[in-house]
Amino acid sequence: MTKKTQFSLSVKLTFIVVSIAAVIIFSLTYINLSEQASFFEKNYAEKSVTLVKSLDASITFYLQNQLNETEQLQQYIETVSEKNDEILNLSINVPTELGGLKTLVSNNENLINTSANTYNIIAYEKNVVVYIPRHIESSHTITVIVPLNISGTIVGTYEIVLSMNQAYAAFDTEMRMLIIVSIISLFLLTFGSLYLLRRTIVKPIIQFRNAVYRTGGGNLNERITITSQDELGQLASAFNQMTTDLKNSQYQIEQYSKMLEGLLDQKDEFIKQLGHDLKNPLVPLVNLLPIIAEKEKDPTVKEHLKMIVKNAEYMRDLVIKTLQLARLRSPNTQFEFEHLNLNEFIVQVITNQEYFLKENNIQVKTTIPPNVTVKADRLQLIELFNNLITNAVKYTPKEQNGGTIAIEAQQQGTEVTISISDTGIGMTEEQLTKVFTEFFKVDKTRQELDSSGLGLSICQRIIEKHSGKIWVNSPGVGKGTTFFFTLPTGDHN
Amino acid sequence: MKKIMIVDDEPGVTYTVKYGLESLDSQYEVTCVDNGKRCIELLEQNQIPDLILLDIMLPGMNGWAIYKTIKEHPSWKDIPIVLLTDRNDAIAKNSGSFLANDFINKPFKIPELKIRIERLLNH
Repeated sequence: MTKKTQFSLSVKLTFIVVSIAAVIIFSLTYINLSEQASFFEKNYAEKSVTLVKSLDASITFYLQNQLNETEQLQQYIETVSEKNDEILNLSINVPTELGGLKTLVSNNENLINTSANTYNIIAYEKNVVVYIPRHIESSHTITVIVPLNISGTIVGTYEIVLSMNQAYAAFDTEMRMLIIVSIISLFLLTFGSLYLLRRTIVKPIIQFRNAVYRTGGGNLNERITITSQDELGQLASAFNQMTTDLKNSQYQIEQYSKMLEGLLDQKDEFIKQLGHDLKNPLVPLVNLLPIIAEKEKDPTVKEHLKMIVKNAEYMRDLVIKTLQLARLRSPNTQFEFEHLNLNEFIVQVITNQEYFLKENNIQVKTTIPPNVTVKADRLQLIELFNNLITNAVKYTPKEQNGGTIAIEAQQQGTEVTISISDTGIGMTEEQLTKVFTEFFKVDKTRQELDSSGLGLSICQRIIEKHSGKIWVNSPGVGKGTTFFFTLPTGDHN
Repeated sequence: MKKIMIVDDEPGVTYTVKYGLESLDSQYEVTCVDNGKRCIELLEQNQIPDLILLDIMLPGMNGWAIYKTIKEHPSWKDIPIVLLTDRNDAIAKNSGSFLANDFINKPFKIPELKIRIERLLNH
């Protein structure tokens, strides 16, 4: 997971759900409140009309007689106002005889307040006007204007301003309740969504993640138990199918590799058996044939016998080397590693080869630091040096006026690199890449019977068993060849 | 005249060794035996050789069993034995639990064999 995604999936999804829900709930609440408010006002308007009507008869009756007695009239409207708590103001507009307009007001303060620019005019009956001024927010009032009808003639109007404060107080409480309920339901929705999302989406996803980790870790028995029929359930069954398929493939691969291992073992065993069986008949061939060849007087037969002896020797070499290679390949072969002083060891190897080297007019120069030791199997290391020295001698032409083999060693840390160089025929680029291949012969025509083509494969195996590396270098044809290999010193530092 | 017993089921091998040791060099007398049972019988008849050349892959009683019988017998245990097998194979099979007096890998050459025999007899 990257550092950017700090919030879990459930939180993110809940945020989305709650945002949508908040918009819906508050919209519904607003609509509901507006409707309630207009219903409330309508309702109140009806009530106020009813109230005014109940007063109408007595007002009309009084005015009929006292219209011209201004002082008494003023007193009258003040009395009516005071009697009724809800009435804020009662005013009367009547024309004077001079053609003007006479206005009587019960309460001057309230008169100013009720003058408004915007009205919500609700007409209930013919000639009755009910309106609610909209610009005054603190005081809720409703005004009812009624024609002053005296003996069938309209002589003016009177208007009553009523307070809605008391009624609004109750209505406000209702509104507050509604908002509180909305907020509480939003909270409930938030936690409910969180819980549900965790249960239905996040938990299965976590289960998935863990299962994928474990499967990646190699446990192909991993199964996800999600029984829901939705996409997650389908994903789970697809995942389970995948691990089953993987397990089957793995089982098949295991079977194949077991079979291959078996076949390889069989091949090694076959080579070993064949080698063993070829060994016995070679004993009389390589021992008795030279004696016969030696005793033979007829030069032609003697020549034939010598060729046969050479072939028998070649076959002996092949059998010995093939068996050696098979043994090096076998996992059962054990090595006896010991610390060998490299200088002493190489002197011994060269001494053993002295006759062979002198016969081929080859000189050996060694440049080895006196105290270098290697950890190696003595017999295998002798085999390695014999093979490489024999090779160096073999590929130095006899016609040449002698040759030189240089053996050098250099220690680097816990590793010793040893090189064996000759002054022989050298190798081409192509030959260099193939020398370690089994049965590869550098010179197919000339050296046919001298080389089994297995010597360097054996060397490579031996070095591998010592955890070293072997490689070859040649500046070109006719310029000699150098073999390099590494051996461990066996020291820990 | 030293007495050598060779135990090997391959007539080509026993013949070559007998010829190589007797005819080319008259100081050895070679007895050829082609199985382990016969070898033990001869020893029991008190025909004790100076040295035994013992093959490993033999029908019936194998080379290791013969070797063990001889080396555990009080009066035979000092007879030197050269195993006609690869030294590494021998070590691998027996994990170094016992060591033969010497080994020689087939297909050996008679002079090599002779060097080993002489080394053990003169020891």
